[in-house]
Amino acid sequence: MALRNDQGIVLRSYPFGEADRVVVLLSPSHGKIRAVAKGVRKTTSRFGGRLEPFTQVDLVLYEGRGLGIITQVSVIEAFPHLRGDLERLLAAGTMAEVIDAVTEEGEGSARAFLLLHRGLHALEAGPRHPDLMTAFLLKVADVVGVAPALDECAGCGTREGVTRFSFAAGGALCPRCRTPAAVALRAGLTAYLARLAAADLSDLPPPDPSFSGEAMGVTRRFLEYHLDRRLESLASADV
Amino acid sequence: MFEPPIQRLIDELARLPGIGRKSAQRLAFHLLTVEEEDARRLSRAILEMREQVRLCRRCFNVTDSDECSICRDLRRDATLVCVVERPQDIVVVERSREFRGRYHVLGGAVSPIEGIGPERLRFRELVERVRTEGITEVIIATNPSVEGDATALYLAKVLKPEGVKVTRLASGLPVGGDLDYADELTLGRALVGRQEM
Ligand SMILES: [Zn+2]
Ligand SMILES: [Zn+2]
Repeated sequence: MALRNDQGIVLRSYPFGEADRVVVLLSPSHGKIRAVAKGVRKTTSRFGGRLEPFTQVDLVLYEGRGLGIITQVSVIEAFPHLRGDLERLLAAGTMAEVIDAVTEEGEGSARAFLLLHRGLHALEAGPRHPDLMTAFLLKVADVVGVAPALDECAGCGTREGVTRFSFAAGGALCPRCRTPAAVALRAGLTAYLARLAAADLSDLPPPDPSFSGEAMGVTRRFLEYHLDRRLESLASADV
Repeated sequence: MFEPPIQRLIDELARLPGIGRKSAQRLAFHLLTVEEEDARRLSRAILEMREQVRLCRRCFNVTDSDECSICRDLRRDATLVCVVERPQDIVVVERSREFRGRYHVLGGAVSPIEGIGPERLRFRELVERVRTEGITEVIIATNPSVEGDATALYLAKVLKPEGVKVTRLASGLPVGGDLDYADELTLGRALVGRQEM
């Protein structure tokens, strides 16, 4: 039984008992945390909107047996603007879903935390860049150690003629390494993806509408293949 | 494990929201001690509710006839519609005594995190009502949560082209509270939604 300080970004929460919620947060040092916020569903709750999804908070947790209890919260960043725009709100939802899927309780997750933080910052700053989600998912793949090979062959490392792409083989393939399941991608698409994977989320290269859709499709399927799960929020994100 | 008839009831009770195994056991053993007629009345009440209650064909409120009592009430303003997530939210808005229009129950909220999209909610039925019932204003009364925000933004998007006025309940400071205790998000919204005096 002890009080402990931590910080985190709220990923989601779900109702618990009569008026409580279990809040799921991502802490850079402790990974995913689940803790009870008592009375938070009442309009008179002293937590107010501090434990809403996408809020970065400082916490005091009371830890005993079972779930911890949140005793104090203060807001570090609230990201209020991304909630006023449907596209940005849906994108934030997808970011939270994906980060939730790739992090564990009790496992430090500094890189995933930073990535989510940068993603929310990019969304808060202004209209959603058409390639932001694609770049974000490519960086998630990197954080979980499955970054696709994009400008060189995943098999032999050559940069010549890498026109095939395989989910199972880990990305782009040259004619010699190609597997039967590898698909042919449009010329320039892997280079486009490589630029997104390397870019800063708040400073992405200008979008090319002829590539954006396919870039998202390939990236999403690649990540779903390696995480072995469907990303539900992406299915409904096509507004 | 208890005797099978008791265990069956405990299992059923434990499936109810907010009821854990321990409460389920307590309730089951309590029901064992009450008068037989009391137990019958409870089981009848559950069955009759299920048999008699259905959804209003216009607004999807709960009712025991074709249309709910609010939709049937001719004194209510049919040009105003208040959109809520669940039927029980109607009771809450009604208690304010500030609203004299009709309702529309969506049956839930859009979830940007779990990927629940508008196709599972009664958006199409609402658009149809706007087109056929002479509705001039749609008041969105979804929760001030991420899900409620997403639902409201979706609704505004599908209703705007219909040429109807779309408003949302203001969110801000709780009456009777101290400004000191307001969080950033709530205070920010209260500022945006401030009113001239
Ligand atoms: Zn090769
Ligand atoms: Zn009705």
